[in-house]
Amino acid sequence: MSRITTSSTAEYFAKNLQQVGFSSPLKAVLTTLKEAVDNSLDACEENGIAPELTVSIQKVGKGSTKSSDLIEIIVEDNGPGLELNDLAKVFGEYLASSKFGRGQCSRGQQGIGISAATTWAQLTNAAGVRVTSKTKKMRKAILADIDVDIKANKGIIKKKETVDWDKPHGLKVEFRIDGRVQLNGDGGLITYLDGTTLVNPHLSLNYKLLDSDWVHVGRVSEEVPKVPPPTLPHPHTMKLGEFMTHAGLYGKITLDKFLKKGFSRISEQTINDMKKHGLKKDYLSRPLTSIKETEYKTIFQAIQETELSNPTTRSVLTVGEEGLAKSIQRLGEIDFFSVNTRKPRICDHKPVVVEVAIARFLNLVDTEEAAQLLRFANRVPLQFDKAACAITKAVESVNWRSYGLTQPKNSMPLGPYVFAVAVTSPFIKFKNASKETIDASDELVEEIRRALMQAGQRLSRHIRAEDRAADLERKIQHIEKFAPILVHGLAEIVSAPKKREKAAEEGLKKILGRDADDAEDKLKEAEGQLKILKAKQRKKLGIGEEAVEEDEDGGDEVSEVVVAKGTKKKTATKKAATKKAVKKTTAKAAAKKVAKTTAKKSARSKK
Amino acid sequence: MARREKMIRIRELDKNIPKMSVDICNQMLTDLENAKRPVIEAVKCSLDNSNYDPKVGFLTPGDKKIRSELNVSSVQKMARTVFMLNILLNNIKSGAVNTKRELYYISKGFMKSDPFYKPLDFDDQPESDSVIDFICDMLEVYREEMNCFAGDRGGQTYSQHLLVTETLSDGTKANVDLSTLGTTPFQPKNKPQQFQLKKKGKIDFCLVVESEGTANTLVANGITKRHNCIVIGAQGVPSNGVRGWCKTIEDQLKVPMYFYGDLDAYTMQNIYRTLKAGSAASLIRNSDFSAPDVKFLGVLPEDVKKYDLHCYSVGEKDAAEARSLKKARDVLANDPFFKDKKNKDLAAILRWLVKEKKRCEQQAVFSVDPKNPRILEEIIVDKIKKGSYV
Repeated sequence: MSRITTSSTAEYFAKNLQQVGFSSPLKAVLTTLKEAVDNSLDACEENGIAPELTVSIQKVGKGSTKSSDLIEIIVEDNGPGLELNDLAKVFGEYLASSKFGRGQCSRGQQGIGISAATTWAQLTNAAGVRVTSKTKKMRKAILADIDVDIKANKGIIKKKETVDWDKPHGLKVEFRIDGRVQLNGDGGLITYLDGTTLVNPHLSLNYKLLDSDWVHVGRVSEEVPKVPPPTLPHPHTMKLGEFMTHAGLYGKITLDKFLKKGFSRISEQTINDMKKHGLKKDYLSRPLTSIKETEYKTIFQAIQETELSNPTTRSVLTVGEEGLAKSIQRLGEIDFFSVNTRKPRICDHKPVVVEVAIARFLNLVDTEEAAQLLRFANRVPLQFDKAACAITKAVESVNWRSYGLTQPKNSMPLGPYVFAVAVTSPFIKFKNASKETIDASDELVEEIRRALMQAGQRLSRHIRAEDRAADLERKIQHIEKFAPILVHGLAEIVSAPKKREKAAEEGLKKILGRDADDAEDKLKEAEGQLKILKAKQRKKLGIGEEAVEEDEDGGDEVSEVVVAKGTKKKTATKKAATKKAVKKTTAKAAAKKVAKTTAKKSARSKK
Repeated sequence: MARREKMIRIRELDKNIPKMSVDICNQMLTDLENAKRPVIEAVKCSLDNSNYDPKVGFLTPGDKKIRSELNVSSVQKMARTVFMLNILLNNIKSGAVNTKRELYYISKGFMKSDPFYKPLDFDDQPESDSVIDFICDMLEVYREEMNCFAGDRGGQTYSQHLLVTETLSDGTKANVDLSTLGTTPFQPKNKPQQFQLKKKGKIDFCLVVESEGTANTLVANGITKRHNCIVIGAQGVPSNGVRGWCKTIEDQLKVPMYFYGDLDAYTMQNIYRTLKAGSAASLIRNSDFSAPDVKFLGVLPEDVKKYDLHCYSVGEKDAAEARSLKKARDVLANDPFFKDKKNKDLAAILRWLVKEKKRCEQQAVFSVDPKNPRILEEIIVDKIKKGSYV
């Protein structure tokens, strides 16, 4: 019989790095960047600092393995920095985290990601991570090279020195890893940085990717989001084992006190209800230490049987409609868009909030392509395995055709749109440790669907107004095309003399003129309504410079924003938008054209 | 000319189609001259304008009309109507005859080669077909009276006792003795009213089978040898040719006619009802294109029980089946044919189908005795003898 051995957590992850996002050279670069950026943003937020990040990704040589490059990834922040003692733990030890299981909406949760990045660097380039750190208290910064001691799951500081750094505080990480760089598309670095920018309006970002120029994305909100403190656990979200472990933390207090102090949504009244469901009265006065395991089970069962209020949704954080509205303009030249932040809800006994932003971009002109979907979980972009994700399922299940978009059945809608869907919850159920796919429970998919449908309704107002304009123009052209054929056909059947045909043409022109006038009036009305709507939205969000007109219908709460074009950053890798996607011609011009061309066509001699 | 007219005549028509057409067009032109919007009207061919009188036996049009005034939405239809009318009138004048498909391509020829007509271009044949149908509804005449025939399918006919005489365009006659054709069918095509039918001996019944394949199997197994009958394959929803052919057989031979098909809502509403009483879409032509005396032989719900036939359930999840069930419910509520007392037994079958959510294929009978290839024939003949039909 073979000997049973145990291995360290680091050993496990070193052998299974694919489980945490290092399954290919391409994903390795993205995951490393993502882990570093997540840590920086979390650290800044916890300390109330508006984050200012600098990212540089360069190809610096050949990788150790076939068909890979040596990629240097540098992420620098203005966060609080780390003390020397913490550096080895954070970058070199697995499951060493300040955030594990505390029930907050932070990006990082378990303390795996950045240690995995160090391990990948170590495995592919024989060197871990180089960290420069400076806290407020330090006069000089610490520069340290850190490796993971894989056997012991400990961080080792291999080299340490103090250096001058002109920043008051901050952290800089440098990885050199085997990888490959993809800029655009679902797994692209630009897609990731765009996504991160979108859901972090308070982020100021400078980045340089490969040979392109430095890109600066300024912040659009000065307000640093405060991550709500965790709330007490809800007993219905626990398993029996977790319940007993939780009890272990409270020592000798009585069960009665433990239930009231250790959980949310338990009161004297609910304890009385529990008694009706089989909770023995004498258990309540006994200290926790004297309760046996079998007794815990009956207590737990009684609690599960009792109806309790849903967990509180106070622990959930949102980006907010205003933040999303402003932030989305940083992604490109936008024609119009719609944002929607739902109220926090309980899905699968967990508080969750869904936010949606849908935008039509002027620089994405190919209307035959599927719209781009940006998925976020706790403000972190999800870029792989989208098919099974709750967000993808929800987007595909909505009938976008009813909002004026083109959509093949049960698929992503088509057109120059970006759909951004953010799910935020202190307890997001991921399908895998690399946190790329949100588990598609029916309740969550339905909640996302509702958010999308609300955003869709708002979006459809723009699309419909446009359609109306285009439709009227189409109609006028329609008459212009068919009327001369009609007259000619009638004249031929009745063998009418030329004089009669001419008189009929004149009469037709009069009729068309009336139609064109009507069409023009209707178009003017539609354009006027849209103008009022846009002005009202600008006023609400303080965007754009045009004078705000009074809203006549008043009281209509709309959250979509239409912005004046040209607020986009300069991105060297993106094509500048030059044309507006939908060109509108006014009905007046069309009407004039009608009269002209009708006369021309009807002048055609009989065959 | 006179001979040609005789050839395509289906009924005694007291209308002068060219004159009616010119009058309508003249009025439209006059309206245009006066800057007044011209209007065209046609019989509304839909269920809500259908009447059913059991004494008449087929669906007839009510008083509702479709009225199109020249505006943005009607101008294309109006221009296409006048364009197609012009072609049809020229055909009537010259005595030329075309199928709907030929008219589609003739029109496309004009539209493709002459930029002036390009805006009228049809995307596909149904667009041009609907224009032709509209013209017929407007003039209240048959398509055949406009010298237009559909390239009809179905109607494959087998019998040992039927003689068909056809008068050809040059006046000569062609005689077809169906007993000489073996298992090859006689197909009436699209002018069945032209035929003179004669019985060769006694004919006991005429059997119309929904599936042409099953009709052929019955014949291959010898049904026409053993029984004095006519067997017709309808090939699904009966085309005008099949409908006219059944009407001709019913009128000229006066033999009992039975329909045998699937037990499902689609067969009942779309196939059998159309054969017996015509359709709402062809209200003005049902009188010459329906066989009101045809009986529904099966498959009946009682057959399912009696012969323990294989059924399968109709799910609401399948889009086509769900549509069919929904339509069955609508039909029960709105179709004057199924609402009429005379057809209460047929309505009861529809109700059974809606309630049970089941269907039974006509071929299920073959499984009653797999060792007996004549089982379907035996059951059909037995049902006719015992009066097991609706």
